Amino acid sequence: MKDIITIIVRLTVSCLLAATVMGLCFVFTSNAKKHNEHVKEQKVMFELLGYKGDVKAPESVKMHELYRYVISGNDRQSIGYLLPQGEGEHGGYLFVNIDLNGSMIENKKVDITEAEALEAESRDKAVQATVGSGYSVAFADQTIVVTDNGARIAYLLDGKFQGFKTFVSVMLAVDPSFAMVGLEILEHEEDPGLGAEIEQDYFKNQFKGKPFEAMKAIDVVKAPIPADYLNALNGKVSEEDVLAFREQYKSKDIYALTGATISTRAVCNGVKGIVTKFAYRINVLDKVLQEQQLAVSF
Amino acid sequence: MANDKSSMQLISRGILSENPIFKLALSMCPAVGISTTVMNGLMLGIAVLFVQVFSSVTISIFKNLIHPRIRIPTYTLTIATWVTVIDLVLAAYMPEAYAKMGIFVKLIVAFAIITMRLEMFACKESVNDSFWDGLGMGLGFMIGMMVIGFVRELLGSGMIFGYDVLGFKPLLFFILPSAGFFVVGLMMAFFNWIEIFYKRTKGLK
Amino acid sequence: MMTLKNSKLVVLALLALFLTPLLAQAEGLIAGQKFKGDKEIVVTFADPVDKAVVENVANYTIYEEPDPDIRLVLETATLSEDGKVASLFFKDALNTAMTHVVNVKGLAGIESTTFKVSKSYLGYLFGIMISALLINNFVFTKYLGLCVFFGTSKKKSTAKGMGVVFTIVMVVSAIMSWFFYNFILIPYNLNFLQIVIFIGLVSLTVQAVDTVLRKVNPVLFNSFGVFLVLVIANCVIIAVPLIVANNNYNIFETFMLALGAGGGFLLALYLMSSVSERMQLANIPPTFKGLPIAFIVAGQFAMAFLGFSGLQIF
Repeated sequence: MKDIITIIVRLTVSCLLAATVMGLCFVFTSNAKKHNEHVKEQKVMFELLGYKGDVKAPESVKMHELYRYVISGNDRQSIGYLLPQGEGEHGGYLFVNIDLNGSMIENKKVDITEAEALEAESRDKAVQATVGSGYSVAFADQTIVVTDNGARIAYLLDGKFQGFKTFVSVMLAVDPSFAMVGLEILEHEEDPGLGAEIEQDYFKNQFKGKPFEAMKAIDVVKAPIPADYLNALNGKVSEEDVLAFREQYKSKDIYALTGATISTRAVCNGVKGIVTKFAYRINVLDKVLQEQQLAVSF
Repeated sequence: MANDKSSMQLISRGILSENPIFKLALSMCPAVGISTTVMNGLMLGIAVLFVQVFSSVTISIFKNLIHPRIRIPTYTLTIATWVTVIDLVLAAYMPEAYAKMGIFVKLIVAFAIITMRLEMFACKESVNDSFWDGLGMGLGFMIGMMVIGFVRELLGSGMIFGYDVLGFKPLLFFILPSAGFFVVGLMMAFFNWIEIFYKRTKGLK
Repeated sequence: MMTLKNSKLVVLALLALFLTPLLAQAEGLIAGQKFKGDKEIVVTFADPVDKAVVENVANYTIYEEPDPDIRLVLETATLSEDGKVASLFFKDALNTAMTHVVNVKGLAGIESTTFKVSKSYLGYLFGIMISALLINNFVFTKYLGLCVFFGTSKKKSTAKGMGVVFTIVMVVSAIMSWFFYNFILIPYNLNFLQIVIFIGLVSLTVQAVDTVLRKVNPVLFNSFGVFLVLVIANCVIIAVPLIVANNNYNIFETFMLALGAGGGFLLALYLMSSVSERMQLANIPPTFKGLPIAFIVAGQFAMAFLGFSGLQIF
């Protein structure tokens, strides 16, 4: 009996000690983790836009985040957008509810700060309060509109789709005419040496400069990449030559990676889906904003 | 057992005569799974080194307070705590390396080598000796991982630490997932061969 | 007793899952719907329907469930001779992994009829199991549990016992971990305690299986009991709950994954032990004796298992 009590006491004490160590570690690292993730995300975004290394983004370049929600109720489904209306702290957000045919149901001001909008929990709550009871809201995705002196220069889209093994998560940049500006693979679990080549420059750069028309019908060809094009994709030739190659191959399909056709196809279809869906949605949103004379920050 | 051994002897034992990968053949999963580059080997090696040293020291400090009947649960709890710590730290400060190692950082908790060192060494010896023993074992694991990573990266992709040194890929096969088994098997055979060769020449003399 | 109860519950739940779609389909106009190829949906009606309504493309609204605002372009719709089977042909390839919602106006005098088309859920669950069993075999393609794998694959009988014990412990601990993860760790934001909780649950399961087996079936315990000790410190067991937590699987998916992982481990052990038994008779060079040759054989198995990749049954 005495034995059991000592065992219990000692186990409890060691559990408490362990919990203290882990708890403290969690408290110290969680903020750093969030901060580093944010920094990394920013870096990826700027690199996609071509601001890499010494080339810094000018002050006039600004990013505006739009959040898309799917709103479902008993009688109807609709799409809601949370749009920023001004710069920084004082600006507020506008919530625009658009039905499935592309006409506006309502728009309301939402009283949240930028920091609150960045945090998923408080943002969801604010949107739910705006929509009112009777409808459920589900966060769908977020898009970043990049403006330079007020004019749109690019959109940053992120997405996730099924790869060969598990999910592949990507971020891509398109210009206002929805031509591809860049592609970045954020996370994947493809096989090293085979499917994992999707994160190599020579693969990602194939997407660069493809116009929307080509992206809508993009497919995969099972052939080795021509040697001179491969050099261009790896950035081993001069800037003008890279552009010339991009022009030459701009309406061609994507060359499949050796031994990883399924991964290649998954990325192509995934990117195609993200771009075409986004192009449709932003057109609908722009039309509504124009018709209703709503002012937003982008 | 090892009271008479100096810290240097304890370290060299972990690296050479009782190397966890090539000699004891424990904790083989990461040695096969993620040893595709030297960098991966180094990172996981550091994580294991950290967990091994801290667990050894913790157990050896509290060795008189641990009730013999709950020995194993206490070891598990200690290891799990330090694994959680290194997991959180890596995720926060080295997200890229962490993403490459995937699930294997969390799986350090189930490494037989760590529990074995706690049971065989740390629960009997002084804090100081346990520290050196843990360091030796951790280094032995790290070096083993890096050697396998070196072979696979050099032959598979012609690179070392991500720098292109050969300019071509001699044997793409070596970087493919299933090649891990072959590389480890061949290297073990190679070390066996050296040993046999060494013994034979000695015998001749 | 835990084991039995849990597995019974799961079987019941699976049965219920089996039956619900059947019940739902029995009433109403739509008797069945499925994907055929990647550009076609086939709908079966309970009674013959009006050809003009079915074949008018304008009557349809079709979208993927998460994207209700993006309509898919239907090219043609045809109705079979007896008026019971309609085939909808699409312009672009469908993403058949998604649930598609089809809405038809004016069918059989009803203003609008809505139904969902998706791949069979049971097929999807089965797919998870096959994937864990063959395509992503835990030993040969995920490289987990190698210590035990090389340690206990000398004899067929040992391999079988080990594999069965592993499967049982894996399924039970994975399901318990799922409950802990979803009802305690997530709601209270304690995700960082994953490792401690999961390894604790595995040890608990091993202890429980040990006690139960000892009381219920002493004969079985005598032959399998020795393996239980080896189970605790093994990465393949702890990997299942970690994968489940990473992928946010639900309870059925968790069950199938654990079953597939355990089955895959059993398969790997059995294959390896069959080779090992033969190898004892072979004349192996002294440098390769023991572990090196075992690794080479495992490598060959791994290459063979690579052939399963891309396998899709459902």
